Amino acid sequence: MSKPVTATLMAIVVAALAAVPLFASGYHLALGISLLYFTILATAWALFSGPTHYISLATAAFFGIGAYTTAVLPDLLPIPLILLIAAVVGVLIALVVGLSTLRLSGIYFVIFSFGLTELIRQLVTWYEVNINRSVGRYIFAETTTEGIYWRLLALAVAVIGVSWLIRHSRLGLAVRVIGQDETVARHVGIDTTRAKLALFAISAAFMTVTGAIMAPRWTYIDPAIAFNPMISFEVVIMALFGGASALFGPLLGAVPLVLLFELLIGSFPNYFSILLGLVFVLIVYALPQGVFGLLEARFPAVRRAASVTGMSAMAEKILGVVWPRAAKREAAGTAPVLQVTTMRKAFGGLVAVDNLSFELRRGEILGLIGPNGSGKTTALNLISGAIAPDSGDIRLEGRPIANLPAHRIAQRGVARTFQLVRVLGASTCLENVIAGMAFHSGASWGADADKRARELLTRVGLDGKADMPAGQFTYIDQKRLELARALALDPDVLLLDEWLAGLNPSELQVGIALVKMLRDEGMTIIIVEHMMDAIRSLCDRCVVMSAGAKIAEGPPATVLADKEVIRAYLGDADD
Amino acid sequence: MTLLLDILLSGLVLGGMYALIALGLTLQYGIARIMNLSYGEFLIAAAFGALFLYTGMAVSPVLGLLLIVPAAFALNWLLYRVVLTPLVKRAKNQGMLEVDSILGTFGILFVIQGVMLVVFGGSLQSYSYLSVPVYILGTTLAANRILALLFALVIGGVLYLLLTRTRYGTALRAIAVNPVAAQLSGIDIASASALAFAAGGAIVGAGGVLVSMFLTFSAASGVVFTMKALIVVIMGGVGNMMGALVAGLLLGIAETAVARLVDPGLTIAVTYALFLAALLWRPTGLFGRPAR
Repeated sequence: MSKPVTATLMAIVVAALAAVPLFASGYHLALGISLLYFTILATAWALFSGPTHYISLATAAFFGIGAYTTAVLPDLLPIPLILLIAAVVGVLIALVVGLSTLRLSGIYFVIFSFGLTELIRQLVTWYEVNINRSVGRYIFAETTTEGIYWRLLALAVAVIGVSWLIRHSRLGLAVRVIGQDETVARHVGIDTTRAKLALFAISAAFMTVTGAIMAPRWTYIDPAIAFNPMISFEVVIMALFGGASALFGPLLGAVPLVLLFELLIGSFPNYFSILLGLVFVLIVYALPQGVFGLLEARFPAVRRAASVTGMSAMAEKILGVVWPRAAKREAAGTAPVLQVTTMRKAFGGLVAVDNLSFELRRGEILGLIGPNGSGKTTALNLISGAIAPDSGDIRLEGRPIANLPAHRIAQRGVARTFQLVRVLGASTCLENVIAGMAFHSGASWGADADKRARELLTRVGLDGKADMPAGQFTYIDQKRLELARALALDPDVLLLDEWLAGLNPSELQVGIALVKMLRDEGMTIIIVEHMMDAIRSLCDRCVVMSAGAKIAEGPPATVLADKEVIRAYLGDADD
Repeated sequence: MTLLLDILLSGLVLGGMYALIALGLTLQYGIARIMNLSYGEFLIAAAFGALFLYTGMAVSPVLGLLLIVPAAFALNWLLYRVVLTPLVKRAKNQGMLEVDSILGTFGILFVIQGVMLVVFGGSLQSYSYLSVPVYILGTTLAANRILALLFALVIGGVLYLLLTRTRYGTALRAIAVNPVAAQLSGIDIASASALAFAAGGAIVGAGGVLVSMFLTFSAASGVVFTMKALIVVIMGGVGNMMGALVAGLLLGIAETAVARLVDPGLTIAVTYALFLAALLWRPTGLFGRPAR
């Protein structure tokens, strides 16, 4: 379907839904309200938890906060103002929760969100009992059931619209990358904490506003009503059932399940929780990817449609406020490009990198070699910011980068590949490259990025494979793709960590030719490698490491003949 | 001064319980790699079991342990073998198993809670067993609390010896450190994980019986225990038994202090405050090894 047709169809559907209160009333309207508010909550949940895989169990907490915002504020305030205040409160609480947990591993976040509803319920109860001297509150806001329905409908349209915008903007790509591989995300320049935080806050805002709209439905609320943990649970089921990674997945899950729950709670009120649990377990086992996932697996056409990321310049423009671009990189300074001075890193008693110093000149290929365990990969990790050095100085274009987080170093122009190849298996080849292109200082997006990404793919020999999922690639193609992603960063320095390892002899020739091509284009490269043939034919200079320290430096032929180096590789002669 | 001592003693008892419960969760999460959100439900189920045995059949909770702990072991073994093993097999990596086990056990949580609601109703329950005051250093402590603490110490001690002094215990600890390498050294991970999960279930069963001797509980209180156990495990550093002990005691004392001095309704707020403080101070837990 073409875009205008789709848009018209959607407008008709929304208009029809808006007309429902003119015909329906009582039970049916109430059902409509349930459908709408669960659709909003499930879509908002999937907005954050879908791409990041951070399971949030705190929906009820935000919903309850919204309901209480309405209850606490004076009834005279205009409703839009109440909703705005609720959104702000939701964002603030999400920021506090997110800042304390999202920079750590996912499990902390789950545990925190698991008890958040209970925590906030306790705090509110304590406040109400001790300060307000009454557990419950009456809500006299002047509104009608129809009014609530229309407000929810508008919010549902808004949440789906915002989800669409995010998916088509850099922020959406950022969290898709984070969900697949957070290390890769940092090394293409994504500020992972900020991306997660932004999405969590947006999702929480929708949840609180839903609560604020729904509050007048109960004329009396107390903490037990507002902070009902069952809501968190139901929302997770719905989003998973429909498919948390598809735009309309949560909607597809919410509609049948709200109806089912309605039926269950009417027929078996006492066994509701048991049945709900069973439905949930069933979904987790039988439909781990949701209905949408099933459709995608059955009908590749759906998959194709879903995997075309459809970058949108408009979406990016609108969301640029939430997720601004990295600052412009300053013009290249004077040589050397990279200066490493007495860099040191110890893991407990093991000194992995011991006072290493070297310089990298513009346009040269430096080989960083040495026997296994001599600290080469650690040295690359220190330069790329994967880990921070204990001491020493690292300068890029004369400016210190030693203690910067990895994404800042990537933005400043250091790109890398990984010893164990890391591609985003669930994304298309093209999206992998665009991930490298979208977050550094000269970032591009939309049609321009698409064009440049395809050019890069052609350069590394992957033309015609742009729309294939990267997980299906052969080893050499994954290596090519990883290189293309690194090049997409338009780096000043490229770090290749055993990029040629594991290739068969003919692939090796292809690999060496690719690196040579880069050298001829003037790229500055550090390669960590065990293939001595490759070192000899590619490197201008070598730094040899042994037990963390530099033992030799110079042209490959010279250092490889060095006695000390031979001893480091082969051990002492018997004496 | 009496108040302080009072808080310290009650806090130690409560903290001992938390440490014991967290120990069981460490077995399930650290070794069997299952993040079990339904963990606390087993505690409450055991508490209801003890209540039923005591008030219905006049079986003392101490004897009840002999019945309930093996039952909890068997049930959890079955749970792992039947319900969780498919998830373990399906998971391509640790992250996927974590997500799947969180979701799966989240569902199980509501099933067990629903069953308990149907069978026992939603009201708060308690029974009176050995609630005679014992005088210690000028303050009093109910005998049932002292008994509970003693049992917790014995169970925890035995488990510690089993894990550190036996071949099988060594195998379990090896899995906790590196499941792949453990498998390569000839350890049968599937059966060892099932055993560790079941042992964790047995411990939380024991914890439930002990807790029921001196705390009121309801069908809905499982979640709170799961949360506290999780937080103690995280604070202590995943897989670290000493860490769990220290974190458990710390939590018990802090919670008792706030309940006595400020408001008994704020215990979760205390839990959270401690959790956050620990995370900000040491992201890998009080005794956790720093990640490489």
